[in-house]
Amino acid sequence: MIRFENVGMRYGPGPEVLRDVTFQLEPGTFTFLTGPSGAGKSTLLKLLYLAEPPSRGLITIFGTDLATARRSAFPALRRRIGVVFQDFRLLSHLSAFDNVALPLRLAGRKPEDYAHDVEELLNWVGLGDRMNAKPPTLSGGEQQRVAIARAVVGQPDLLLADEPTGNVDPEIAQRLIRLFGELNRLGTTVLIATHDRSLIERARAREMRLVDGRLVELRRA
Amino acid sequence: MSEKERVRGRILPREKGAAPLDVVIGVMAFLAALALGASMLANRQAEGWREGLSGRLTVQILQPDHPTAKRDMQTETKAALDILRDTPGILTITEMSDADAAKLVEPWLGTDALVKDLPLPRLIDATIEPGAHVNFAELQTRLQTVAPDSNVDDHTRWIARLQGLANTIIYAAYAVLLLIALATAAAVSFATRAGLEAHHDIVALLHQMGAHSGFIARAFEWHYLVSTFAASAVGAGFAAVTFLLAGGLEFAGVEAVPFLPPLGLNPQELAWLLAVPVVSGLIAWVTARLSVLAALREIY
Repeated sequence: MIRFENVGMRYGPGPEVLRDVTFQLEPGTFTFLTGPSGAGKSTLLKLLYLAEPPSRGLITIFGTDLATARRSAFPALRRRIGVVFQDFRLLSHLSAFDNVALPLRLAGRKPEDYAHDVEELLNWVGLGDRMNAKPPTLSGGEQQRVAIARAVVGQPDLLLADEPTGNVDPEIAQRLIRLFGELNRLGTTVLIATHDRSLIERARAREMRLVDGRLVELRRA
Repeated sequence: MSEKERVRGRILPREKGAAPLDVVIGVMAFLAALALGASMLANRQAEGWREGLSGRLTVQILQPDHPTAKRDMQTETKAALDILRDTPGILTITEMSDADAAKLVEPWLGTDALVKDLPLPRLIDATIEPGAHVNFAELQTRLQTVAPDSNVDDHTRWIARLQGLANTIIYAAYAVLLLIALATAAAVSFATRAGLEAHHDIVALLHQMGAHSGFIARAFEWHYLVSTFAASAVGAGFAAVTFLLAGGLEFAGVEAVPFLPPLGLNPQELAWLLAVPVVSGLIAWVTARLSVLAALREIY
């Protein structure tokens, strides 16, 4: 369903950040993406969530070849992808509730349809009493949980997370990983970029490592 | 906060520092409404001139050049009056006396006894039935058979000149309206671009989450439609008050601007000023939409 073939990426005239990256993500799999800082993890995620076009190579997302697809097809592809950004990217003028509900609003769902789902999810991530709080009044960990709730609320086909447990204590981190696992069991393909070795060891999932812009398969699930 | 309020958070935050744009748009709407009002006044005035002059004609019977010419002005005038009476479409006929003719030249020549010796023409004033068609050329020919030195003045020359003046005012007002529309579009386009720049992170996030360009554009166009409509309504409101005051001054017997026609607008004309906020709101709506869509096309 997700295929990268000899993908290379450079920003402007700079050096290649990703080189000859080739891999495939089968539907319903759980994968960790690891590697030192600057190895190109965030760039690889950007290509996956269609934020940038590759400099070369072939990317196929949900069976659609991005090089030949019409741009008008991109919004529908993007809506099937949930992203937890490293810097959260919450809308500071909206409440936690509205931030989480955003993907459902974009999908055209009515508030009366989704209000219950959003509240339930916010309760699950431990923010039941902070629903009306605006992001600037939330702690880093709370913001991260809102960002995760927003990424999973629409039950996306692909979930991408960039260091999703970086700002939370181990107990919450485990709870969040359980949430990702639950989503994965329901059929979502999950790819998590992280440094957290303990998380990777406990989950015992496939691990892909980026070193100097090249992809090394470390462990198959 | 009720559930209803909680789930209706605006996609775009309320703009801060947009007041200068509102002031610019309000002032432009004020000027646009003044121009629109001026064009309506000019139109109404031209209509008045046309109605005042087009329903009448004047026949002049000149004294013969040679005093020895054997012609009798009295007989010629009587014959001309008969022809006019027989002409279909003529409503009333008034022969002006010598005293009336002398009165007409009095402002230029005074009341000196010499004036009485001047060869003043005989004048016949006639009104035409509304809607009736009188063939002036044919009438002139018939009149000249009984009074060789007569001519018919249907005031066409004057009407054409006044009409030209009114048209100049009307077209100048339209040109001003067009310029103001262009300036409004430019100002809104500039503000939308600035707004996009200020909200770049929000736009990028919505785009990233799969929002269609139309969804993002709607958030902006609605904002600019409402704020431009409100600012223009205030500007047009001030213009309406200006026209009402001008009308009030005339009603009170004070001439607002000497030599100019009445400056008050009637209620129907005042209602037309509502078009200013509606049209500027639409201009803002279209401009904002096009600006946002153009900016989004530049993102992958």
